[in-house]
Amino acid sequence: MTDPHEVHASDSDLSAYLDAELDAAARCRVENHLAACPRCAARLADFRHLAAEFARLPRESLGCDLAGVIAGRLAEEARPRPRVHASGWRGLLPLGFGAAASVALGIAMGAVLFGGGAALPRMAAMSVFDPIPPGGLCPGLDACYARGADMTGAFK
Amino acid sequence: MADDDKGTNQRMDDADEALALRAQAGDRQAFAQLVRRHQERVFRFVLRMLGSREEAMDLTQETFLKAYRALPGWRPEARFATWLFQIARNATLDQLRRRQLVEFVPLDADAPGEAACEPHDAAPLPEERLADRQRIGLLERALGALPAGQREILLLRELEDMSYAEIAATLGVNEGTVKSRLARARAAALAHYRHHAGESPDDRSA
Ligand SMILES: [Zn+2]
Repeated sequence: MTDPHEVHASDSDLSAYLDAELDAAARCRVENHLAACPRCAARLADFRHLAAEFARLPRESLGCDLAGVIAGRLAEEARPRPRVHASGWRGLLPLGFGAAASVALGIAMGAVLFGGGAALPRMAAMSVFDPIPPGGLCPGLDACYARGADMTGAFK
Repeated sequence: MADDDKGTNQRMDDADEALALRAQAGDRQAFAQLVRRHQERVFRFVLRMLGSREEAMDLTQETFLKAYRALPGWRPEARFATWLFQIARNATLDQLRRRQLVEFVPLDADAPGEAACEPHDAAPLPEERLADRQRIGLLERALGALPAGQREILLLRELEDMSYAEIAATLGVNEGTVKSRLARARAAALAHYRHHAGESPDDRSA
């Protein structure tokens, strides 16, 4: 092999070395070079430092369970329902409330679907206007829309 | 990766597979379980890609709705988690295109030290925590300055801890491409990081 100082390790080899994704021969080659080359060792340290910074990023959380919401939306799509409910309530809501409303509706309908109850679509639709989710399936609802604390009041 | 982790991952994959098969057969409870198992991961990825909680919440829902509709096409040979991330990733890129977003919108451009989505806290922070938040803000800005393709591969590797094989499957590229794209993304992130910090993240000179 050539003098290690003449050919530096590539970024992609250093990066893959950090991730333990090199095969044995390549790993050996990189390790030998690193032992002799402060510049590549420093580059590897930079990559390692970046990875450590990522590990410090806060773990953002949904703050609620979407399973009910999704079940509700699937049911909404699958089931032929009276038109009144299909377009009526959505039209009543101010802009931007769609997401929050669909969360609430989903919780209601999710309770129907996953809770095994046989509630009527009308009941589910009406509960959209109830700020307290039925069954308390999503205790973190407020957390989902932290800035919308004032929005829940508008549902009354 | 430790054998324990591999064992845990394998058990999780097996459980996913069993649930996905049941969901395919029409078991909605099983699909709800899949949502619960994966919603936080999908949300975290989408949020870091888009920068907006509300959009991320909607897109996380969209991802699972799309997954449900695509479920008949899922085969047990594909890891469910990888398959789901493909859907999340495509939905995210579609959304970025819909926004016609060339540059990522930082979570809060005027307050780079602020953690995302948290109301402003006027109370003085302990010095150590303030420094932490500034560092987090720096990384978030560096991440935000990258093109979507570099941002996503960094997130999949650094936050989701995916192997190159998993990333390759998620992005639909080969592992060689993962290796080179990830290295470029890391180099670009470091360059932005230095640019914003005005110094190297370590104490090394140039
Ligand atoms: Zn070197």
